[in-house]
Amino acid sequence: MTTGLETGCALLTGNATAAWAARLADVDYVPAFPITPQTEIIESLAAWSSGGEIPARVVNLDSEHSMITAAGAAAATGCRAFTATSSQGLLYAMEALYTVAGWRVPFVLVNVSRGLAAPITLEPDHNDILAARDSGCIQIHAETCQEVLDSILMGYRIAEDPRVRLPVIVNMDGFYLSFTREPVALPDPARVRAFLPAFDPGAVAFRASRPIAQGVGALGGPLYTHFRHQAHLAARNALTVHEEVATAFELEFGRSYDVIERYQMDDAEYVLVMAGSFATKAKAAIHTLRARGRRVGLLRLRLIRPWPAEAIRRELAGRRAAAVIDQNISPGLGGILFQEVAATMISSQSRPGVMRSFVGGLGGKDISPGEFMHVVDVLENSGPDEPTEPELLYTEADWSQIHPLLVIAQTPDRHSNEEAAP
Amino acid sequence: MLRVRFHGRGGHGVKTASRILGSAAFCTGLQVQDSPVYGAERRGAAIAAFTRIDKQVIQERGLVLDPDLILVADETLFTDPGAALLAGVEFASVVFINSARDRVLLATEYGIPCPVVTLDLSTLTTDVVGRGASFSATLGTAACALAGITDRSVVSQAVQKELESLHLTPELIAKNVNAASQVLDHLSAVSIRERPQGHTASPIHPPIHLLGPEGTPVIYAPGNSARRHTGSWRVFRPEIDLNACTRCGICFAECPDAAIHLNEKAFPVVDYDNCKGCLICETECPVHCISEQKEVRT
Repeated sequence: MTTGLETGCALLTGNATAAWAARLADVDYVPAFPITPQTEIIESLAAWSSGGEIPARVVNLDSEHSMITAAGAAAATGCRAFTATSSQGLLYAMEALYTVAGWRVPFVLVNVSRGLAAPITLEPDHNDILAARDSGCIQIHAETCQEVLDSILMGYRIAEDPRVRLPVIVNMDGFYLSFTREPVALPDPARVRAFLPAFDPGAVAFRASRPIAQGVGALGGPLYTHFRHQAHLAARNALTVHEEVATAFELEFGRSYDVIERYQMDDAEYVLVMAGSFATKAKAAIHTLRARGRRVGLLRLRLIRPWPAEAIRRELAGRRAAAVIDQNISPGLGGILFQEVAATMISSQSRPGVMRSFVGGLGGKDISPGEFMHVVDVLENSGPDEPTEPELLYTEADWSQIHPLLVIAQTPDRHSNEEAAP
Repeated sequence: MLRVRFHGRGGHGVKTASRILGSAAFCTGLQVQDSPVYGAERRGAAIAAFTRIDKQVIQERGLVLDPDLILVADETLFTDPGAALLAGVEFASVVFINSARDRVLLATEYGIPCPVVTLDLSTLTTDVVGRGASFSATLGTAACALAGITDRSVVSQAVQKELESLHLTPELIAKNVNAASQVLDHLSAVSIRERPQGHTASPIHPPIHLLGPEGTPVIYAPGNSARRHTGSWRVFRPEIDLNACTRCGICFAECPDAAIHLNEKAFPVVDYDNCKGCLICETECPVHCISEQKEVRT
């Protein structure tokens, strides 16, 4: 295969792109543990490492818990570390995610989103990545394979900035990006080195000659509060640092990123708020709706931690209505990001008159053009005083697939147990 | 936008075929997106792959439910409802089937409402590349030809590039390039018809809470996996020479899918409805009385 470096552009899957980003970032250490649909990332890096194409050391750990701990420990010594996981793997690593964020060590973790068991599935939704939202790790959600590459390169700059010093998680959707090839511009390695110099850990690095204790205990509320809140302030700094890094990135590579993406927003009366690769589907639907004269726009959330509250307030102010389409579900509540968007807007005098919550795309279920039309219809026909119960995007065609499977499963007492949803 | 869907079985090379079409189109300066879909299956199971081609940046993702072209590597998949070969066929201009049979007959037999194009890729691939070769190059080239990408150097380069990425030997790649070239001799571009306007939107289904069993992922019917006839996944069929069999029972014990049982005389009997053709029995048989036969269907 041509490397793409000669031509500048190649057809690459999200997984191949992530591996290329780690290679271009000249990472030193890749602790790994396999899980679908992420495995190809570490397979690529392992092949390059054993073939002598990259100097990085790739090591298989016994679990994701050890893997994240190893990445954090390596970063604490001044190494540039990279790792990747998915779904159950991210949850298995959860304790370690909080720990390494508390250590205040920089590395990049790619999460390839996959719905959580039970029931087990392989296709994506965002309950895995959003489970990590309170860990202290920075979160960037990618829509395209190109954005996976660019976010990893930018991620190292943000993570390693002395004002931040936190792990960065770059999220891509399983299958929809991980296994999908699309054109990706692979930057020249020399220009990546110019944008992303070697990691300078400063004073915080292990040296055999200079013993220090990192990640020490902090018993007692005032001490614990101080350090935990420092992580919060560092994460808030990532908003400013992102802006600076994005400016430098655009200068070097010509592609520009904001903490949010605005699509057809200038005159939009109705706004869809989404994250991840399904935003592409929303853009297609908006194209169709605009052709019919309906003023719809998309606000895509890229940075989810830190939460880009200012940008969201600015973009949603003065709109007639907004719908948050959450590709996740918090049972008993509804969509997770709707709560955060609504809380962001509560203090705004010019918040949209209608804000509605939708849940869609769970376990990779398609969000069809018809479902996007339905969302906009609901926005147009809702009044400000109507209840804002979350609505599930699920069609009669989806439901018609379920009945034959229930028959095969021979569920006892079919038809006698139905009760209306409250 | 041109939307192409490939159907085949794991091992047929449909993912690589979709990539050959993708690479060829990309090489001509077009925007491309290609992807496969498969679950926790293996060699022989139904697999689909997709290629989207457009002049503009592609704003679709995931499964192609409204294909312009459908390419089928194995016509036995038409009998597997789970493979859904004809999903969205109302959008299709052509269905291509790897078959030596009459195309009108095939259209009638499988209820295909649009024109059918056939070419016997199995024979061509076996003759030019060798026995047991995948259809990736020939099927991918068939898609290129139907889509109007007929420049031989473009198609050869795409075949070369994708097979190199699979680490095939230069000799095997050269044979595949040769086979691809012969496909171009037989197939030409089809005219893509005007698509029906818009999708028919399925209405929203109001959720209903189902108490207990129906709302939980539980299967109450015991032993129902036998109803999923995974025998269709088989590429090679184990055949037991009962004259040589010593009735040791090792094949019965080692079969990972419990697809071998012992009859009243303790001779092993293969359940071909469910045998996936892993051939562990062949490997384990101490007297080598189990042989592999190429599976022939239809």
